[in-house]
Amino acid sequence: MANPVLQVQDLSTSFFTGDGEVKAVRNVNFNLFNGETLGLVGESGCGKSVTAMSILGLVQRPGKIVNGKIVFKGQDLVRMPAEELREIRGRDIAMIFQDPLSSLNPVLRVGFQIDEAMKAHDKVPADQIAQRGVDLLKEVRVPDAARRIKDYPHQFSGGMRQRAMIAMGLSNRPEILIADEPTTALDVTVQAQILELLRDLNQEMGTSIILITHNLGVVAGLCKRVIVMYAGEIVEEGPVDQIFESPQHPYTWSLLRSIPRIDADRRERLKSIEGLPPDLIALPPGCEFSPRCPFRIEKCFTQDPELETVGPAQRAACWVTMKRAYAEMGAADITDTRPGAASGIRPPKGIEARVADRRELNAPPLPTPASDE
Amino acid sequence: MLTRGTLIYIGQRLVLIVFTVVVVSFGVFAVVHSLPGNAFVSDRVHGQALQILLHEYGLDLPIPLQYWNWVKGIVLHGSLGVSLYIRGLPITPLVLRELSVSAMLGGSALIVTIGLGITFGVLAAVRQNSWVDYLLTSIAVVGYSVPSFVIASLGILIFGQWLNNLTQGALYYPEPWSGTYGSLAELSLPAIALGFYTSGQITRITRAAMLDVIQQDYIRTARAKGLQNRVVVIRHALRNALVPVTSILGPTVISIITGSVVIENIFGIPGLGKEFVESIFQHDYNVTVGVFTIYAILIGFANLAVDLVYTVIDPRIRY
Amino acid sequence: MATAMPTPATIDYAGGTLAREQVSLWRDGIRRLRRNKLALGAAIYLGFLALVCLVSIFWTPYKPNVIGTCETYQLPSAAHPLGCDDLGRDSLSRLMVGSQVSLSVGLATAIIVLGVGVVVGLIAGYFRGAADAIVSLGINIFYGVPPLLVAVALYVLLGSGLINIIIAISATVWMDMARLARGQALSIREREFIEAARAGGARWGKILFGHILPNALGPIIVQATFVIPVAILTAAFLSFLGFGVPPPKADWGGMANEGLPSLQGGFDPYILLFPALALSITLLAFNFFGDGLRDAFDPRQKR
Ligand SMILES: Nc1ncnc2c1ncn2[C@@H]1O[C@H](COP(=O)(O)OP(=O)(O)OP(=O)(O)O)[C@@H](O)[C@H]1O
Ligand code: SF4
Ligand SMILES: [Mg+2]
Repeated sequence: MANPVLQVQDLSTSFFTGDGEVKAVRNVNFNLFNGETLGLVGESGCGKSVTAMSILGLVQRPGKIVNGKIVFKGQDLVRMPAEELREIRGRDIAMIFQDPLSSLNPVLRVGFQIDEAMKAHDKVPADQIAQRGVDLLKEVRVPDAARRIKDYPHQFSGGMRQRAMIAMGLSNRPEILIADEPTTALDVTVQAQILELLRDLNQEMGTSIILITHNLGVVAGLCKRVIVMYAGEIVEEGPVDQIFESPQHPYTWSLLRSIPRIDADRRERLKSIEGLPPDLIALPPGCEFSPRCPFRIEKCFTQDPELETVGPAQRAACWVTMKRAYAEMGAADITDTRPGAASGIRPPKGIEARVADRRELNAPPLPTPASDE
Repeated sequence: MLTRGTLIYIGQRLVLIVFTVVVVSFGVFAVVHSLPGNAFVSDRVHGQALQILLHEYGLDLPIPLQYWNWVKGIVLHGSLGVSLYIRGLPITPLVLRELSVSAMLGGSALIVTIGLGITFGVLAAVRQNSWVDYLLTSIAVVGYSVPSFVIASLGILIFGQWLNNLTQGALYYPEPWSGTYGSLAELSLPAIALGFYTSGQITRITRAAMLDVIQQDYIRTARAKGLQNRVVVIRHALRNALVPVTSILGPTVISIITGSVVIENIFGIPGLGKEFVESIFQHDYNVTVGVFTIYAILIGFANLAVDLVYTVIDPRIRY
Repeated sequence: MATAMPTPATIDYAGGTLAREQVSLWRDGIRRLRRNKLALGAAIYLGFLALVCLVSIFWTPYKPNVIGTCETYQLPSAAHPLGCDDLGRDSLSRLMVGSQVSLSVGLATAIIVLGVGVVVGLIAGYFRGAADAIVSLGINIFYGVPPLLVAVALYVLLGSGLINIIIAISATVWMDMARLARGQALSIREREFIEAARAGGARWGKILFGHILPNALGPIIVQATFVIPVAILTAAFLSFLGFGVPPPKADWGGMANEGLPSLQGGFDPYILLFPALALSITLLAFNFFGDGLRDAFDPRQKR
């Protein structure tokens, strides 16, 4: 287990928009080990996809990797000539995307799109490509594969399209598969089948997988190790059991509380975290979570915590950590999770949790002008 | 590709074409035959002699009856009638010969327009907001703002006169048209003048469609597969961008037909457009109606062809 | 649900906001238009052209229609900045006068098309059924013939006055507007406030022009600005082919036509070049202005 296939070091990616620099990913460090399935979780917009796209060099204008190294087989993908990186894309590192409905080209046949992935590289001999295309579709359990391979994407169901995407991703037997929310758009039974498929892949072919999701249940089922991102940074990482058992970062803690529990006796609504992630153009000084954190202390507003070891192979970036929060702030039976509620610390002027536009949250029904009496 | 549904659709469209052609030809027929003056004015025939002539050509009958006879002529003999100017000359072979000349010009213009429009549109989109983009989009706006006779005149001025020695006179157009069918050089200037106008519209639409398509998830997928940039742009992006581009091919064909009337008159190319203008001036109304009818049929089939091209470009479209 | 979220003030939305949103939409649009330098430049040029057109009604450097004002084919000189034509008339004077034809054809056609196309389209879209079938068939038939030829035929039928030219051109360019208005009516008629107006007993005339039209105005106005260059271009084509205003009245297409022989003959390209240039720049200006207008007021349509 000890040798990493992929090392991401100090990765920072920004989008240079008209409004300013959107710092989507900042100083991200992690290793992906041989044959492991690594989970990457966090709220929508926290930079999971941008991290994945950075690895493959797929960040498009106005985005740019501003700093860092991504080491794969001793080579830095960030500084690699475009043509060499293209060779690696889809061949050694493959990616499947969030939305299978829109991720396949509607005007090309499914089979063509799978074969094309193989033709772009010389890993699969040309005369075996057609056969392998059918085999792959069978492998990902598309029924009647030999016939369906000639279909267009719109003739496939959502689950089948995602299977086709996976088949495409696997076609060159990549060493690393990045699956960006592979099940979000699918219904529950199909979700389970797709995840099953990924597990088999990992176990039978030894493919290393980065599994991006905001569904912690999926992580629990599939991953040994998980990384939690918030506002473009890693806030906590460690073995899945341990993190689920005793999360140390208040953000992880609130994420876990927000999983609907089947065994909950009160019909409690999802305990989602109040407020929105910070504006990535104008980040708060200090800890990025401080505007929303129930356990914040004065220091949190001025100094940004670094990742520190908080348990065996577990690290978190927090001045307080849940250990202290439990001990000193009674986090165990806290009900009020509003910012600063547990610690009673008010933010300095100008730092408040962002709230969604009232109109977005409670969109009124379509306006009906009062009719004449 | 030809499923049952498609065949039914083609059938329906053919009915619509026939209907349109009948309405158009009758409308034009009625308008043209109620115009003051007739083709015999120049002959200075009056009174009795004129009556005899009118009778001979069936022009003294009520218009619906004249039209009926005209339709019968087409259906029974494939004849669009005879010219009244060069009396007795059958129109069908004349018009068909002119159609072949016009088709050659129009076809070349279509190639120019699509080739130029798509190339410019793709380049502008790929280099969005760079000077290439600004240059090409400006050319596009100039394209559909500058009348084709201006482009044609400038072409004549530059290539026909200033660069006459360079082109060995190949681009100079002494009337009448030499009729060297295969001569690309002779065809190129009128074809470019004609195609430039519509290429501007195609550039615009291609650029907008490409910019839209490039944002799509499947383009990211294509990149993630490790395809070469060229393949991503052409096979994945352009293929999809062609769908909206196809939608203006119908109007493009009409624009080209319209423009060809002007261009043929400038360059003295003996096509349908030139014939049309002459027939109006000569009160040779059978020819006028014939040309109109041919154009209506042409446009009908062009639109049908565009609809069929759709099904090739976008497999989601089925009739 | 109890504390954090103040309930939105629902009364706010009962009608007042819609009007307010419309107003701010227009204000936004005008601001966007001002920022568009090309459109602004085009607007300035068009203002200048309108001025020239007005001035030319009362004054031109020479009498535009008097033959022999100067030497025939005189090249541009201090006395005659744009030279003289084949009949010895001052080209600058004729160019100024020619703007009258282009501008009046463009504007009048836009107004006619605005009236006819919108009414026909709205009626088709609102009533659907037979009205729609007839209008749609009419649109399709007119799309099935080359517009320039129709204009020529109508020109010959109606005779050669300026009004007739305008009518002939209007008859060939109304379809886009009608189709647009029809589409707008089709979609807007399903909105709730139309339902409400109907329930309130409003007549169809009031619904069409009091409720549907105001909501479709943005795209309709944008479309109307694009009618202007098309009409000017068609008029130029017509007179270039010899179906223009009767001579000796000057118009740009006709002037270009008169200049063609001397250009082809190789002795005086200017007779053609100046009206061609004036025409091109004017069309360019209308197109830039229309583009700016569209981007400003109808961003969805930005294609
Ligand atoms: N093209 C872009 N231009 C500007 N900002 C962008 C762009 N793409 C992404 N971002 C910003 O980067 C941030 C991270 O986006 P990313 O797609 O990585 O989020 P994510 O964690 O994958 O969320 P989700 O769960 O919704 O997929 C977002 O806040 C977004 O605003
Ligand atoms: S306690 Fe402080 S450092 Fe820890 S998450 Fe909350 S705000 Fe950040
Ligand atoms: Mg994402």
